[in-house]
Amino acid sequence: MKYISKFTFSIVLVLLSFSGNAQEAKSATKDSVAPKTERYGLRVGVDLFKLTRSFYEKDYRGIELVGDYRLTRKHYLAVELGNENKTVDDDQVNFTTKGSYLKVGFDFNSYQNWLDMENIISVGLRYGVSSFSQRLNSYEIYNPNQYFGENPVVIAGDEYSGLSAQWIEVVAGMKAEVFNNVFVGFSFRLNRLVNQKLPSNFDNLYIPGFNRTYNGDFGVGFNYTVSYFIPIYKATVKAKAKAEKSKSKSKKK
Amino acid sequence: MKKIIMLLCLVMAFSGCEKDDICVDETTPQLVIEFYDISNPAVLKNVVNLKVTGEGMTEALNTFNGVSKISLPLKTNEDVTKYHLLLNSNSSTASNEDVLEFNYTRQNVYVSRACGYKTVFELNTANGFDLTDATITDGLWIQDTNLQTNSIITEDEVHLKIYF
Repeated sequence: MKYISKFTFSIVLVLLSFSGNAQEAKSATKDSVAPKTERYGLRVGVDLFKLTRSFYEKDYRGIELVGDYRLTRKHYLAVELGNENKTVDDDQVNFTTKGSYLKVGFDFNSYQNWLDMENIISVGLRYGVSSFSQRLNSYEIYNPNQYFGENPVVIAGDEYSGLSAQWIEVVAGMKAEVFNNVFVGFSFRLNRLVNQKLPSNFDNLYIPGFNRTYNGDFGVGFNYTVSYFIPIYKATVKAKAKAEKSKSKSKKK
Repeated sequence: MKKIIMLLCLVMAFSGCEKDDICVDETTPQLVIEFYDISNPAVLKNVVNLKVTGEGMTEALNTFNGVSKISLPLKTNEDVTKYHLLLNSNSSTASNEDVLEFNYTRQNVYVSRACGYKTVFELNTANGFDLTDATITDGLWIQDTNLQTNSIITEDEVHLKIYF
């Protein structure tokens, strides 16, 4: 609860700071204050959304570890590694999907922080790969003409293993530092399948990491993370970057 | 940035009502029979009060009148389906009953999330279908038959032609 209110507070803070953006530029750049340094390092965390779902949803077990490494001022190398076990009970089919996935890509921080704050509002891309198995538990035969009565549910139990899928994700998210080196954040994802290995006489209706599949290769995702930042080194913000910044500011005006 | 988030929210909102929740694909096919004139085999002939009842069923599938094409569902949990075809069913004197028996193998084929599976049939080459007279031996009203295909996969084609 304490974390949540801190999180909410920091989001409000982040949003408020949008309105205050314009004042900062000119006077700051001309001051002869000590050079600004920024911290670079590794951030590791876990997806709370998947973790909590595992508790309240009896047909779902999942975990996702997230990590990112700051490459430049604005760019982060980002990785998500996860494992899911989900049973889906649809009207016509009941199946269980099990498997692991890895997503690698980058985030671009489009947010200009105040002072030494390290909040992030980012857009990014990921390439996801998943290796999984599908188990068809039961299915129904769709028969438009039920003259001979309704079709009984067929208990199948067919196991399709060695399946895989690859996809691209567009990520939009934010992270806010709630207290020393601890960040909370969330992200929305839009996925598009690149290729997949289908089971024979069945389909990949759910793919670990990609989530539910739809007819047109698209999918959506969401995560809510708590992560810890491990600082590795500090770098001085270059004057060039500052100059560029003020240039773009004046352009906007 | 805000636009992207808005767009994502929009996509999320609409993703719940895609059309793959409703089964729109072609599923388990029925056996399609077309009736022809025995004296002029190229010409379609309409049936008159043809009452079709599955073996062991108390209610008739349908009483076809003035049509030359009918569809019969096959059992998806047995390898044999038997139909009693009673022509001129509303007349006590002119009515005539013949029995058609279909023997086949079944295969369940995946269709989609909403439809699940369908059953397709392959009529046996030896005894795919059998035409016999009913218990009251009044002779066959079906004069000739011509099986078009053994594979009952789609309803878009005629599987059996009956001449009378």
